[in-house]
Amino acid sequence: MNAMMIVELKKHLQDKGLAFWMLILPILFTVLFISIFTTGDNEAVNQEIIQSIVPGYIVMFVFFIMISMVQVFIKDRDRGMTARLASTPLKSYYYLLGKWLPFMYIVIIQIVVLFLFGKVVYDVSLGQPIILLILSLSIMFTVTAIGLALTLTVNTENMGIAITQVIALGGAMLSGLWIPLEMMPDFMQTIARFLPQYWAHQSFQDAMAGTTQASELLQTLGVLFAIGLAAFIIAIVRYPYFLKRAVN
Amino acid sequence: MLMIQNVTKRYDDKTEALKDISMIIPGGACYGLVGPNGAGKSTLIKMITSIIRDYKGKIEWNENRITDKTKQKLGYVPQDIILEEDISAAGNLQLFGRLYHLKGSRLNQRVKEVLALIGLSERSKDKVSTFSGGMKRRLNIGCALMHNPELIIMDEPTVGIDPQSRKYIFQMIDDLKTAGKTVIYASHYMEEVEKLCDYVAFLDQGEMIENGAINELLQQYAVPSIYIKGSGIPQDKLEQYGTVSLEDGAFILYTEEALQAMERIISYCRENRIGVERLELVHPRLEDVFFRLTGSSLRD
Repeated sequence: MNAMMIVELKKHLQDKGLAFWMLILPILFTVLFISIFTTGDNEAVNQEIIQSIVPGYIVMFVFFIMISMVQVFIKDRDRGMTARLASTPLKSYYYLLGKWLPFMYIVIIQIVVLFLFGKVVYDVSLGQPIILLILSLSIMFTVTAIGLALTLTVNTENMGIAITQVIALGGAMLSGLWIPLEMMPDFMQTIARFLPQYWAHQSFQDAMAGTTQASELLQTLGVLFAIGLAAFIIAIVRYPYFLKRAVN
Repeated sequence: MLMIQNVTKRYDDKTEALKDISMIIPGGACYGLVGPNGAGKSTLIKMITSIIRDYKGKIEWNENRITDKTKQKLGYVPQDIILEEDISAAGNLQLFGRLYHLKGSRLNQRVKEVLALIGLSERSKDKVSTFSGGMKRRLNIGCALMHNPELIIMDEPTVGIDPQSRKYIFQMIDDLKTAGKTVIYASHYMEEVEKLCDYVAFLDQGEMIENGAINELLQQYAVPSIYIKGSGIPQDKLEQYGTVSLEDGAFILYTEEALQAMERIISYCRENRIGVERLELVHPRLEDVFFRLTGSSLRD
């Protein structure tokens, strides 16, 4: 498994596209939207907007890791690497882990870098950093598990990319990452409660403000873990089909 | 010794890719698998390497079923070039070495040895994406040799490469044979199999038509032939001596009594003042054996 991880990390480090999607684009969006929405004179309101936009775009862009996941797995399947590795003593579930774990590392690095950017450039408050870290780890698991389920379910790369866009952008819109949730209709606010982006964003904001209660944290972690676990179960169910398609 | 016993593979759509294949590949032999595209060569190889596991029958290497432990003794060179293009040649070899549990100085030493064997020591740090097709083919083979396997299974390893790389690969295979390795060499290039292998199995439409030592099969099946090129030689005259086929404007006469037939053709041409551009005895080839067995050429 380590062999797979080492190679994957080497490849990801050289992947300029990944750096663009995961770091440059979210920074550009954050800067752009903060500059648009903080034109008023009220400094307190401006800071409140920043405190919402920074975690909002972190949560939104974290989901774009799913594009890279789809590309890596489908390419491996279609060019025969998955089948090639099946001829080695590598166990098939170690292959899965060896491919999955590097994406987890990327997501956690992405979240840390984007929070640091928010801190350095906009002086966002990071009131409860340990809770932020715990939430980040939880989001890391949930997002990559959803990515894994998607990857092992779709037939083509294009299909995977299209569904990622729907999940990332649709989820962002419905979860109040773009527009404050209170401004949205009731039914959309209800839908938001079923989306991981909503829980991640709300909890990030609370932790940044330093107001997270233990019960709220546990509730968020529970929801995120449940979604992640459901996705992981789908991935495990789909994996044999993925392997079968890869070797035939 | 590799034993393949009553192996049948049926896909989900009920297509039979392989039908009741049995063969024994002796240790230390170079064994050719020959057949047209779609004959089932790659499927059989994927079963030997345990890539395909849902099949009927039994495959054993030295009396052991193919498990993760047995896989340690097998090296597989796939038909397609399957490498990590964005990392170096050495990085690819390290990956496959690690997958076979090599590490530390032993891994590094083996990477150096294999790079020398495949002639890529000078390019070890270069990204694979910058390599020519022939270099990638050699590296593809190198990845299968990292763990010094006892059995090396090569699926069309010379497809689409330049003559120089082909020669290099042939030399590597000769070296593997000299080192006592067992080699399975699948190809639809008959001349390659004839040159490299001691044994051959002919596959066609999922069935094994024949297998055995190449020399014996040539003796048993191949009919000597005469190549005749010239204007004015009547085909019906040649047909008196055997079966005639036309190839690129020349006649190929298949006959058991080739020398006598040659003498008579020469006499006939002399008497009738017929010019002959070329007349020669052609030694039997594997291609002829395949033709005799299937009634069609491999290139059809």
